[in-house]
Amino acid sequence: MIEVQNLTKVYVENKAVDNISFSIKEGEIVGFLGPNGAGKTTTLRMITGFLPPTEGKVYIGGYDISENSLEARKLIGYMPESASLYNELRVIEYLKFRGELNGVPKKELKGNIDYILDACLIKDVENTIIGNLSKGYRQRVALAGVLVHNPKVLILDEPTIGLDPVQIVKIRELIKEIGRERTVFLSTHILPEAEMVSDRVLVIDKGKILAQDTPQNLKNTLRGNVVYEVIIKPIFENIEEFKKIEGVLEVEKVKEEGLEVLLRITGEKNIDLREKIFDFVKEKNFKILKLNEISLSMEDVFLRLTMEEKEVVQ
Amino acid sequence: MKPFFAVLKKELLSYFFSPLAYVILTAFLILNGGIFYIILSYLNSPTAPHGAVLKAFFGGNVFYWFYILFIIPALTMRLISEEKRLGTLETLMTSPITETQVILSKFFASLIIYLFLWLFTFIYVVILISYTSIDLMPVLTGYIGIILQGSAFLSAGILASSFSRNQIVSAIWAFVILIILFTFGFLYQLVPSPKFKNVVEYATLWEQMEWFGKGIIDTRGIIYSLSLTILFLFLSIQVLKFRKWR
Repeated sequence: MIEVQNLTKVYVENKAVDNISFSIKEGEIVGFLGPNGAGKTTTLRMITGFLPPTEGKVYIGGYDISENSLEARKLIGYMPESASLYNELRVIEYLKFRGELNGVPKKELKGNIDYILDACLIKDVENTIIGNLSKGYRQRVALAGVLVHNPKVLILDEPTIGLDPVQIVKIRELIKEIGRERTVFLSTHILPEAEMVSDRVLVIDKGKILAQDTPQNLKNTLRGNVVYEVIIKPIFENIEEFKKIEGVLEVEKVKEEGLEVLLRITGEKNIDLREKIFDFVKEKNFKILKLNEISLSMEDVFLRLTMEEKEVVQ
Repeated sequence: MKPFFAVLKKELLSYFFSPLAYVILTAFLILNGGIFYIILSYLNSPTAPHGAVLKAFFGGNVFYWFYILFIIPALTMRLISEEKRLGTLETLMTSPITETQVILSKFFASLIIYLFLWLFTFIYVVILISYTSIDLMPVLTGYIGIILQGSAFLSAGILASSFSRNQIVSAIWAFVILIILFTFGFLYQLVPSPKFKNVVEYATLWEQMEWFGKGIIDTRGIIYSLSLTILFLFLSIQVLKFRKWR
């Protein structure tokens, strides 16, 4: 459905996107993962025809976005990062405008809007002026706006950015729901988000595609050694004993506080050691107060991505 | 054509949902009402000239130019700037609509609002008719002149609006372009060569408007305004496409 060939964008001496190629099949939900400034937005702008590529081709449903631009654009629903909306219009007026702009026949428009209002959970604000809506509602109205003409391809740029955790969950569910019958390509800088909604993930950094795979495979290949933080009561002196557990590489005492001790245990990748650590400590008649997997990754991009997620969670 | 009408409709809605249209309408009516009153008082005096009585109303007075130079930028300043500032230009230009359709729909929306303002001045004509008999043809050509010059000015305003994300900057650009257009014609007094003098005189907006007000349909004025309109709209379309050149 989306075919990208050797796409390159050069801004005065600076290669924002560097010779990337990929294709997305009909019905797939694909995450476009990369840290801020990796070239995600530039790529999406080229795919939607807003910016022309310096080199390369983009085909949407077989139409070349530069040569058959209007035909290709009819297939696309594109939501830019900022959820840009006309603040003076009411929600319902905005949705009508989007429908008419995309040439939805009058007969179908009303039905489409009713369906979208329900699907995007914005029925209760249909007569509210957009300028008065909260950020979460704005995001959903923007999403509704790209759905009115029932596009085959949805391209979403950071659809959950700037939302609170509850809203993030709602938007993710919504994307999964509407992605059942459509091809969705969404960018994000948060790995768990890509993992949660997409069938496949493309990882981009510094304008280049580093990997493309299912989220699970990607996680396994990117995953380095795993570190667990354990708080044990009372103080466990002979920490070297932990190495008896299969898969444990290193144990380190971080600090003691009263009767509690914080240990950092490094384990091999691709093995979950939490249960084994728990059983081991229990066997020795000690108590675990806290057991935490703290770092999944050694790989550079991955590290940066998880750091971003922590920022979001906090 | 559907996207064209969608944007046209949206622009008209936006005008009436923002306080701007009402402020402009109020200012316009106060100014025009005052001018009409002054013109009437003058025409009532025994020394008043004969002929097209509303000549002074259509461009024959200095106030007309003052408020046109301010009202046009106020009407056009947000048309493209606001789309750029809000980021809606991105959603608009990735929809199945061409740059030409976008510019034309915005132009016609502003023209409709501009004519809506002038519609109210029709009351003055009705008042005059009910008290005295006047020749209606000069009134008609006066309105034609206003539509034509309005088109040229509004398209200049749209061009200015496409320069910046900031409405105020756009308004200032529009004001500058209009001032240049307006004062250009007066330069003919300074031009020594008779050949060029004619060319510059051709572009005197004040004079063109006076002819219209007198009931004379002057092809110079029509061609001049239409070509300015086409030129400015063409340039606006190019500015909108500019993002594609980089």
